[in-house]
Amino acid sequence: MKKRVPQSNLEKNEQKLAFKLLLPALIVLALVAIYPLGDVLFTSFTDIEFAGGDEVETKFIGFENYANLLGITIVELPPVLDENGNQVIDEKTGKPEFERAVRILPRSPNRYKELFQYSWFGKQYVVGARDPVFLESVGNTLIFSFFSVFIETVLGIFIALVVNSNFKGRGALRTTMLVPWAVITVVSARIWEYMLNPGTSGFFNMLMFRLGISDGQTSFLTESFWQMPSMIMVDVWKTTPFMALLILAGLQLIPKELYEAAQVDGAGGFRRFFKITLPLLKPTIAVALVFRTLDALRVFDVFQVLLGKKMYSMASYNYTQLINYRQMGYSSAVGIIIFILIAIFAVIYIRMMGVDSE
Amino acid sequence: MSKRSKKIISKVIFYIIIVVIFVYMLFPFYWALNSSFKSENQLMQTPATFIPRDIDGNVSFYLENYKAIFRNNTFVLSILNSTLVAGLTTFVALLVGSFAAFALGKLRFRGKKPTLYLILAMTMFPQVTILSGLYAMINTLGLSARPSMIITYLIFTLPFTTWVLTSFFKELPVEIMQSAQVDGATPFQTFYMILLPLTAPALVTTGLLSFIAAWNEYLFALTFTSVEPTARTIPVAIALFSGEIARQEPFGEIMAAAVTVTIPVVILVLIFQRKIVAGLTAGAVKG
Repeated sequence: MKKRVPQSNLEKNEQKLAFKLLLPALIVLALVAIYPLGDVLFTSFTDIEFAGGDEVETKFIGFENYANLLGITIVELPPVLDENGNQVIDEKTGKPEFERAVRILPRSPNRYKELFQYSWFGKQYVVGARDPVFLESVGNTLIFSFFSVFIETVLGIFIALVVNSNFKGRGALRTTMLVPWAVITVVSARIWEYMLNPGTSGFFNMLMFRLGISDGQTSFLTESFWQMPSMIMVDVWKTTPFMALLILAGLQLIPKELYEAAQVDGAGGFRRFFKITLPLLKPTIAVALVFRTLDALRVFDVFQVLLGKKMYSMASYNYTQLINYRQMGYSSAVGIIIFILIAIFAVIYIRMMGVDSE
Repeated sequence: MSKRSKKIISKVIFYIIIVVIFVYMLFPFYWALNSSFKSENQLMQTPATFIPRDIDGNVSFYLENYKAIFRNNTFVLSILNSTLVAGLTTFVALLVGSFAAFALGKLRFRGKKPTLYLILAMTMFPQVTILSGLYAMINTLGLSARPSMIITYLIFTLPFTTWVLTSFFKELPVEIMQSAQVDGATPFQTFYMILLPLTAPALVTTGLLSFIAAWNEYLFALTFTSVEPTARTIPVAIALFSGEIARQEPFGEIMAAAVTVTIPVVILVLIFQRKIVAGLTAGAVKG
């Protein structure tokens, strides 16, 4: 649209009407999104606590919340030496011993707790964080998003390809795909919680026991090895159908003639998939990918219901800080960090979708 | 191997894949259904059975879980709360959203592109970011939980309905508007007498999708009802379910509740499936 000053009466009226019609929507969005966002940004620079009644005096503390959330330090761990000056070797593991991280990490003015250790050229280092739980929640969310979106995409493409071919019961399968999507996320989380029950009263333990894989006593939601895979599994079940539906819509836009031509030229099934389907499906997949990633990055329901305080996602950490610990300023800073992370992805998404105003 | 037997084998493999997909998508729901008909003893029976059986192995269905959840006031109330909250937020979103969508889809005005970008950006707004801000606002205003949910759910229902309805309005031929204008109708009359009835199918689709989104919402509901248990919606009630019969985690009742709240939505989805698929893909792919 060319920018020009409206001239005729008709155009002026149209312009006026447009503003009147848009006004309610803009007021609502300003009230429920823009104003609270500004408020959150402001409180993220204070040490305000939600005290429910008696007001505690709050201070402006600049970037302190952010520094506390993101602050890390790396320290070399000195080796433990015996009286001859040689490094002590652990008798059980056969590994050289190092000083314990707790004793080495700085305590004042800010206390750092161990996030993880690594060795580099025979030296042992420890990464300490002011709030290791938050950084872990960021890591958890990123790992969760990457794997669940990746699996959903692959599975989604596969299911979409199957549904796109002609067979009896195609309509029924397409309908069935909507069932996981329609189930309330919390409800699906609780159903899976029961299926993941420790002991053979749980479905998965029963299955693994019957197949002779395990003793049927795995605690999927408390053993740290199983927590993340369990979360990913629950999310994949719930959202793969959505992915498959999007990709199916993309598949149906590909003209059939292309396949016929390729078949005439003697291209096999795999070749047709990699030379025709995948390249033409690229835009759909790209959009679906970012769309799902945005969703996965703000994951809350499954983590909160299934793991509670055992393991956090960014969103469930934010919730806990606000409701359980009443740290409003701190929780606001968490919110802003999530916002920035998601905004980066959203910009990519909007770039890809574009807006056409005419 | 002859060509024919090869063809049969590939067909068999294909149908096996289809059955696996079917089972994968329906199994958790089936397991919930199965468990909802088990008594506490049957639930603790190891290994778990695929249909409710008593200790002797005879099939026996236990109906007490279903009776119990309907005696549970928090749960029954939560169905009403969810219906009220999701229904009203959808109504407001459709009303306000269709006004905005008409302006964005059919009228010419300056600043259209930035507005469209704003709406699109809002569809991706992470609700968790403003959790503390909204919580503070609601506490300052002294708003109770139900209206709080109805208003705040507009964050995700309004941009979505506006965005999808805009694309529907755009597709309506301009000639309809022009001929109405020639007949002397004002643009607003054209909108609610001619265009709005034409977009009725789109309204049903977007309404259904935003209803389901609101029906599903957990984070805000959990936060706002934390001091007002009577306002709990279904997701909160099911997440915090405390049983009537069972001593431990009352999974029999939870599964009965899960089945009860899922069946109506599944029926709704089955009836409107074509519209839903069209709406979902319009929201994400077409733009």
